[in-house]
Amino acid sequence: MFEHDDDIVERMIRQLRRPVSMDPGLAARVMGEIAAPAHPGKKRRWAWLTAATAAVLGAVVIAHPWTRGSGTSTDAFQFVLVAPQAASVSLVGDFNDWDPARSPMQTAHGVWATVVPLAPGRYRYAFLVNGVEWRADPAAPNAIDDEFGTPSSVVTVAGRGS
Amino acid sequence: MILVALLLTTQGAVQDPRLERLDPETRSSVVAIVDSARGMGLPGEPLVQRALEGATKGAGAPRIVAAVRRLATDLGTVRSTLGERASTPELEAAVAALRAGASVQVLARLRETRRGPLTMTLSVLADLVASGVPPDSAAAVVLALAPKSRDADLVEFRRAVERDIALGAPPGAAASVRVNAGARPGTAASRP
Repeated sequence: MFEHDDDIVERMIRQLRRPVSMDPGLAARVMGEIAAPAHPGKKRRWAWLTAATAAVLGAVVIAHPWTRGSGTSTDAFQFVLVAPQAASVSLVGDFNDWDPARSPMQTAHGVWATVVPLAPGRYRYAFLVNGVEWRADPAAPNAIDDEFGTPSSVVTVAGRGS
Repeated sequence: MILVALLLTTQGAVQDPRLERLDPETRSSVVAIVDSARGMGLPGEPLVQRALEGATKGAGAPRIVAAVRRLATDLGTVRSTLGERASTPELEAAVAALRAGASVQVLARLRETRRGPLTMTLSVLADLVASGVPPDSAAAVVLALAPKSRDADLVEFRRAVERDIALGAPPGAAASVRVNAGARPGTAASRP
């Protein structure tokens, strides 16, 4: 009985002492598996989604039909209105989508002013006083074609070097 | 992907968020005009701005739609005269000149005689008429000045005429006298 057990132990020891032959590429494969993402398919899908989103956004930026101008340089223009009695004055025109909230004017002793960057072009504009009264710019040419029953002015910005 | 990009490009007016300020009835009419104009190669932005001007000024739908449609027609007219390569500012200024009373023949002659952008030249023509100078006189003086004057000279000329008018000179005479006396705008004759 004991002899038989000794034999088994002896065989186990011999087996354990045998040199183990390892695949030389095993370490590289193991490290590769560790570095690889858990879901390679998911990553590929994200890459496609990111590229697709970038393409769509790029197309929108290139097309952007609702913006004015073509990336030309702009110059700062100051608009001034003397209105001592006014509580508020806004500058509205082609350059700010006729949105009174975009260019509120600041006052100093009844002189209202604001500065707007303008690219070369011809712009119609007007002052909105107290949110209800439209006024043309007394220092600028009037717009001839006043189709909405209120006065407007025009400013023309020349291109550089012209 | 390309299809999506094309859709975004071609349906720009539909998705233009600024037009949401218009009531639905006006918006659909304006969008149709803008899309049609873009389809003919005309700029849509001036049309959008005219619609927004009307909306901000509280104009009714018929008035806004009529103004946008009229502008689209005029843009087409001046584009035919100035050529396919005319810029949006040039077309806008040409519409202003046309509405001031300048004929398409005058616009065509300006295109022929003046090198470079016509925006300022056409604007000065329109602005002179707005100051009271008769359209024929304004066209004549601008045609005389256009070949050799810089944009800055034209602006200075317009200001000088406006000053003379403010001082009491008859508008037509003020323009003619300035041209004859100054020979060249921007010289001492056109300065205060």
